[in-house]
Amino acid sequence: MNCHQCPKNNCTNQKSPGWWKLFRKTPRALELSSQDAQIALVGMPNVGKSVLFNRLTGIYVTVSNYPGTTVEVSRGLAQIGEQNVLVIDTPGMYSLVPISDEERVARDLLLKTSLTAVIQVVDAKNLGRMLPLTFQLIEAGLPLLLAVNMMDEAHRLGLKVQQKALAVELGIPVILTSAALNQGIDELKSALAKCLPSERVAIPA
Amino acid sequence: MTSQVLYQEPIEEAIASLETWIDNHRQSNLFREYTFSSRSLALLLLQKDPSLWSALKQDEEQCREVEIVLTVAQNKLEYPVNLAIAQTRQQQARRLESIVLQETKRTQTSLTETLHRFTVNPLTGFPLLVVILYFGVYKFVGEFGAGELVDRIEGFYEGQINPIVNQITAQIIPWQSLQDLIANDYGIITLGIRYAVAIVLPVVATYFLMFSLLEDSGYLPRMSLMLDRLFKSMGLSGRAVIPMVLGLGCDTMATMVTRTLETKRERVIATFLLSLAVPCAAQWGVILGLLAQKPAALMVWGGLITAIFLAVGYITAKLLPGSSGGFYMEVPPLRLPKLRNILTKTWIRMKWYFWEILPLFIWASVFIWIGRLTGLFEMIIRGIEPLVAAIGMPPETAPVFLYGFFRRDYGAAGLFDIQQQGLLTGNQLVVAAIVLTLFLPCIAQLQMMIKERGLKTTIAMVLFIVPFAFLTGYCVNLGLTLLGVNL
Repeated sequence: MNCHQCPKNNCTNQKSPGWWKLFRKTPRALELSSQDAQIALVGMPNVGKSVLFNRLTGIYVTVSNYPGTTVEVSRGLAQIGEQNVLVIDTPGMYSLVPISDEERVARDLLLKTSLTAVIQVVDAKNLGRMLPLTFQLIEAGLPLLLAVNMMDEAHRLGLKVQQKALAVELGIPVILTSAALNQGIDELKSALAKCLPSERVAIPA
Repeated sequence: MTSQVLYQEPIEEAIASLETWIDNHRQSNLFREYTFSSRSLALLLLQKDPSLWSALKQDEEQCREVEIVLTVAQNKLEYPVNLAIAQTRQQQARRLESIVLQETKRTQTSLTETLHRFTVNPLTGFPLLVVILYFGVYKFVGEFGAGELVDRIEGFYEGQINPIVNQITAQIIPWQSLQDLIANDYGIITLGIRYAVAIVLPVVATYFLMFSLLEDSGYLPRMSLMLDRLFKSMGLSGRAVIPMVLGLGCDTMATMVTRTLETKRERVIATFLLSLAVPCAAQWGVILGLLAQKPAALMVWGGLITAIFLAVGYITAKLLPGSSGGFYMEVPPLRLPKLRNILTKTWIRMKWYFWEILPLFIWASVFIWIGRLTGLFEMIIRGIEPLVAAIGMPPETAPVFLYGFFRRDYGAAGLFDIQQQGLLTGNQLVVAAIVLTLFLPCIAQLQMMIKERGLKTTIAMVLFIVPFAFLTGYCVNLGLTLLGVNL
């Protein structure tokens, strides 16, 4: 059985029928070389992490318009520049100090995995409420990128985000996206490419 | 980094001393695997992060050192340390937002705002819920999906496919017993696959379509808000509505989503209610299909299940010690759902569901075949018959309850089959529908319950559910007979 919309055999998200699980406990191992970079999508609930994951990896994970749809970590490969990158979709979290179980999943993943980049997805319409988590991720010294998502909806409400000013104030790359409309994904990918180690080598001395 | 948040003086002092302390212990088992900066770890300790502290508690001396730093900082502050930290961050965030976010037009109370109020206010929201249930679930899923679509597909299957299958197997396979495995009354193709494709699939497809639409529109969280007070009386926060409502789609998924609940107590109550009184898509659909022609019967079923849900929820909340977590939930915007997203989601869910049930339905056919060959089937059926008779059902339904034991939807489909032959009265339909709704969930949900809540809790729940389902059926049947009601 193949996972829907899987371009290659790069999907760990395959749901074998429950009946099979009795006999086959572990899902098929991901074909991933150890050099591959890992990046994680984090952020508060219902900001569009899973949509972005779908856009980056081509793997469908259920997306809904309410918080808490994702309760488990999903992994998939994305092509960034010349490289394959492992993208990790996490359950939503409000702060680095977890309250519920699924927040703990996301936090512990950040705390214990060495990641090449961390993309915090935020809702442009509620930027002020999302930024405290941004501060905490910066404090933690994580290689952070900020994806200001749902720009289409913010635009409709007459909100304008000063991308450059935000990037300067925070000291991290800021990308404006509307993941549901597939806007800003290329910009995000090229910003990601700059974080990957081999790209840095390619810059002439 | 220039963008670092600066906290109040006493907190910064505490961070500084904790940072040095952490740097000195970086190589110890406690911190070695952590990727966060020392400043961040210091802040987590100050905020009493549960997992860091439980790791810290392994060494009492370490623990005391950190506690001293924390107490010193706390004594210099008006507010609790974690509140002070959160406040500083929020102030900083608001300041930054005011710099980078510009409003180009005044936000007026728009249509969505009016709609939002309409859905959340119980006075308007409750009638809306009833309207949605009537048109979305009763009309669309019950009458169209379980009525029209099932009739067509089922008619086609029984009229066109079954006779051909029966004929071909009769010609190819000389042995009657082997023919029965594939064709005839209980065959893999004529019964197992027919149930999956012709009865359950159309029902589930219409239901999932409806459900995805409600999901993406943002209506569900508003429904939670409206129902919050009702749930509070049951010891659940409004947050618990989400898994409950999801349970109306698939109880297995919903059991997994109970993770979003804050306290263990809430998770146990929610899991229990899901396995007892929340019918999933397949059950809903088939039961609606069964009872659609008899609105009075449908009302009795709906009323009783709701009453049991509320009563059992209330009692469990009273029996289990502890309090419910506070309710704060993001309310996502109301959106016009995108057709493509809804279709994709419905398609994915249908596929997942279909592959989940197909092997089970086929296995059921095989088991029945083996059982019939060995005479075991007859024996078990005869064993159940008195039980079935006690709740006032005809003996033909005994196999249905046997299937229902493996999967509620399979049992429901079997019931549907019998009803189409006109063998059941209104009273019997209601009793069967109630017992099947209350009865044990499918094997997948049972697995999920064990995984999420542990074996002991699950067994306790099962030991309650099975006798309770039959007892309720018995009482309802008795009640209806005594009152002389004929639905």
